[in-house]
Amino acid sequence: MPLRPSRSAYPLSWRVLDALEAGARGVWPARFARGVPWLMLAPAILLVGLLAVSLFEIADASLRTLDTATFLPSEEHTLANYARAFSEPVVLAVGLRSLGGALLVTLATLILAFPYAYAMVRTPSAAWRKTLLIALFLPFFIGQVVRAYGWLILLGNQGLANEILGLAGLGPYRLLFNYWAVLFGLVQYMLPFAVLMLAPALSAIPEEVEAAAGSLGANWGRTLLHVVFPMAKPGFVGAGLVVLTLTLTDFAIPAILGGGGQDFIANAIYDQFFRTSDQGMGATLTVLLVLVGSTLVGLVFALFGAGTLSLRGRGP
Amino acid sequence: MPDTPFFLQLSRRRFLQGAAAAGSLGAASALGLRTAFAQEPEKPAEIIVRAWGGSWVEALKAGVSDPFTKATGIAVRHDLTEDNEIQPKVWAAVAQKRVPPIHVNWDTTTNATKSALRGVTEDLSDLPNLAHVTDLAKPVGLDGYPIVDTYGYVYVLAYRPEAFPDGPPTSWKAMLDPKFKGRIALYNDGIGFHFPAQVAGGGKLEDIPANMQPAWDFIAKVKEQEPLLGEDPDFTTWFQNGEIDLACTISTNAREAKKNGIDVAWVVPEEGAKFDTDGLWIPKGLPENELYWAKKYIDMAIGKESQQVWLDGLGLPGVVPGLTPPADLVGDPSYPTKPEDFEHLIRISSKIQVENEADWFGKFKAIMQG
Amino acid sequence: MSAAARAMAADSSAPDRAAAPVVPAVSVRDVAMVFSGQAAVADASFDLASGRFLTILGPSGSGKTTLLRMIAGFQRPTRGEIAINGRPVSAVPPHKRRVGMVFQKLALFPHMTAAENVAFPLKMRRFDAREIPARVARYLDLVHLGPYADRRIHELSGGQQQRVAIARALVFEPDLLLLDEPLAALDRKLREEMQLEFRRIQKELCITTINVTHDQREALVVSDEVIVMDRGRIQQMADPISAYREPANAFVASFIGVTNRIEGRLSDAQGDAVTLDTPFGPCAGRWGAPAGRSPRVGEAATGMLRAEQIRVAPSGEDRGGLDASVSAEIVDVIFEGERVVYEARLAGRPEATLRVFDHDPLGHAVQPVGATVRLGWNRRDLIVFPND
Repeated sequence: MPLRPSRSAYPLSWRVLDALEAGARGVWPARFARGVPWLMLAPAILLVGLLAVSLFEIADASLRTLDTATFLPSEEHTLANYARAFSEPVVLAVGLRSLGGALLVTLATLILAFPYAYAMVRTPSAAWRKTLLIALFLPFFIGQVVRAYGWLILLGNQGLANEILGLAGLGPYRLLFNYWAVLFGLVQYMLPFAVLMLAPALSAIPEEVEAAAGSLGANWGRTLLHVVFPMAKPGFVGAGLVVLTLTLTDFAIPAILGGGGQDFIANAIYDQFFRTSDQGMGATLTVLLVLVGSTLVGLVFALFGAGTLSLRGRGP
Repeated sequence: MPDTPFFLQLSRRRFLQGAAAAGSLGAASALGLRTAFAQEPEKPAEIIVRAWGGSWVEALKAGVSDPFTKATGIAVRHDLTEDNEIQPKVWAAVAQKRVPPIHVNWDTTTNATKSALRGVTEDLSDLPNLAHVTDLAKPVGLDGYPIVDTYGYVYVLAYRPEAFPDGPPTSWKAMLDPKFKGRIALYNDGIGFHFPAQVAGGGKLEDIPANMQPAWDFIAKVKEQEPLLGEDPDFTTWFQNGEIDLACTISTNAREAKKNGIDVAWVVPEEGAKFDTDGLWIPKGLPENELYWAKKYIDMAIGKESQQVWLDGLGLPGVVPGLTPPADLVGDPSYPTKPEDFEHLIRISSKIQVENEADWFGKFKAIMQG
Repeated sequence: MSAAARAMAADSSAPDRAAAPVVPAVSVRDVAMVFSGQAAVADASFDLASGRFLTILGPSGSGKTTLLRMIAGFQRPTRGEIAINGRPVSAVPPHKRRVGMVFQKLALFPHMTAAENVAFPLKMRRFDAREIPARVARYLDLVHLGPYADRRIHELSGGQQQRVAIARALVFEPDLLLLDEPLAALDRKLREEMQLEFRRIQKELCITTINVTHDQREALVVSDEVIVMDRGRIQQMADPISAYREPANAFVASFIGVTNRIEGRLSDAQGDAVTLDTPFGPCAGRWGAPAGRSPRVGEAATGMLRAEQIRVAPSGEDRGGLDASVSAEIVDVIFEGERVVYEARLAGRPEATLRVFDHDPLGHAVQPVGATVRLGWNRRDLIVFPND
């Protein structure tokens, strides 16, 4: 047999990497090697730095009131905006609506995401897994706003949902422009995030462990409760945090599906910045939102431990 | 929100006349328009005009931008950033002494007045065509012309005739009819609705802003009717999809929906309807030559030919005398032309609006979001 | 009928069994498991008496784990029936069977302590809460883990984790203990230690146990009985000594122990005594095929001869007592301490190579490479199987 060298003995990708390494050596000689980690960290540091600076700016702006004679912020610092935020019932109403909505949406999303993620991870059929994955990713290609408008069409008075109800001699019902429509839209939007965060946590649980629970006397319900849920806790916490913070700060879904009457905090902040030009008040609400959000995240960490995000480097 | 198509079908000849007139006026302007012909400043490749989208920008393009390009060779780019969102950007640019992101801002007079009060607007007093405009073009309560108002518009009560078999509604109180629960719409900051609400609630316009309790009481009653809150495009969509029967909106939106084949009509109810204006202004900080050509643009926008085409597109009354109203709007209450037409329209000075708008919006929000 | 099937038939029809009302702890009848057209297990039948330690031995893919999972209830047989203590269980889900299992990767619950792991089956099986702590302590003591009760799983060594898994599988006093190659991942020393530990506990509790492994040494060390499987079928069920000394077929003979294959043709057959013509010359041997499959002179056959049953002597020297011998040349010598391993070959015939374990405790003589030697064995140790 003629000796023909196998192509996979030195794959093309290695040659590409060789070339890249050679190029990198030209640009960044080896004696600078100690700087490499810093160089790679630089963008992150820059980003975080910018974020910190703008947070500082916002905090500063929140201490200045708007002078409607000149439409300039006041020179001196004052807590007047905060006093206003705490005395106006509408701030509390919108705040509680956002917070309650975020908690409800998080709960509902996790409840719906778990079976989906579980089925995706555990199905023995590759075709099913692919179908579930594609169904999960498709909405990612459709922006939040477009999706919300899709719901307007589907759930509107003359939409598909009411047409189907009409066939049964019912309706039309006003399905849109209320709190539940907003929560529905948010859950639908958040579901893929939650599934994607849960799936790795679930696939990290060996099937053998579930089989073991069965052989030790647990039916599927108790297996979920005593074994799968506790072991998937990092996934639940991660997914919950993502959904909670994204929901708490969401703008488009409440604006579009709420019919204008179901503002969340982000909508109120937008109004202050862009509708009444009161940047101070907008900044105040922003600071409060950041505080509430951080407190919630801190609370979750305190309850479940930062280790749930695998920050300790060692799994459970 | 309100948008002002300002169509000046400016032929080159007419433009030259205008420019010549400006020259002959000999206005000692800071710009030196007098010497325009002798030494025109360098032309930029384009100027950027912020505009509202849809039919609004189309009307502006046909009436002002295209003729401007034709006359000067300078391209016009329309920036469709929301008026509310461009405002802080312009403010920030001026505060940081940067070149602002746009040359001309098409804005509500109220918003523009905020910018004028903040001192970020260029003075436009030396525009030649200001010699031919009506009082409507002059912003109330400001010195000179930091803004030029370009047309007026009315926040009418738009309705679906199908829902009113016994004839059109005559009062804003029609919104309180239980059968319209969930089927009425207002702007999400309540703009255009505060003043007629003051009347419908039994209050007096003279009490604005000191005592607006009647307005808030009326709005609170409307809140019980679960109104939808939105912006211009929402109203058209909602009428189109049969979501609403009644709305307080700018007549242009209702007319646009009607043009799209939706059965919509509008009235100015007995309590009256808010009349307001939109205008054009130029942010500070532009290079001299660009400022010159931006002024040229606004000057063209208040020329009669531009006004005729622009405002035909919008269906709104302009600021030069002798314009021909669009055929479908002759005698329409939303197209006031004679002094008696204005009797049913409510005008409140920009100054009062600017100073109190944030409060009014806040109150409205508090009622609606509570 | 294979020797295994014969042994089983004898088992189930033996008059002493039939007479006594003894119900086998596990009874597997004609069980088959088909995955997408492929039979992972076919025609599996055996009985296991109470208190016995059975090892199912086979290469990977032989179906041994599938058979075990069917007994545990994780998979339902396509055909056939499994009974535990006389009760058919094919329709019974795992959590309703009284079967303890130790898994290949242990499958301990990482979010629980050792004690919680052991208490888990008691909680799930609704034992009296007051009884649980004492029982957990008893079983942790049984596996010598008393002091480690409150450790988390990742704080325990590999061997300690094994012990937790055993205690957890036993604590609820199951009818049956299943071991799914739990020792496969351990290093040799620990594995041998744990093998003895399994054996000790099994004897102490007298619990019927089925162990699955591909480690033939483990099978011989721990088991009362061995089942050898290949390609989904049971090849033989026997006690370890019989499985080693009386393999039912060439596969069993080659899978257990180090066995030389000698290809050839039968030149003579007198009852069980046959003569195989091989490259080494005619070799006397014993016919190993099941009854009814008589040897035919002239047919191709394979002789199986274990490496330790061959003796080495310098050429010309006689090793008394052996009734068969051939000449060969030493081509490789490996000194392993307690024994010497030779590779001996017929000159110029690479296919005629024999491996020899020489346990020479007294002579200290090691044959050098290149030496011509005499290889001797007893003819009863050369077992001849037909090639079909």
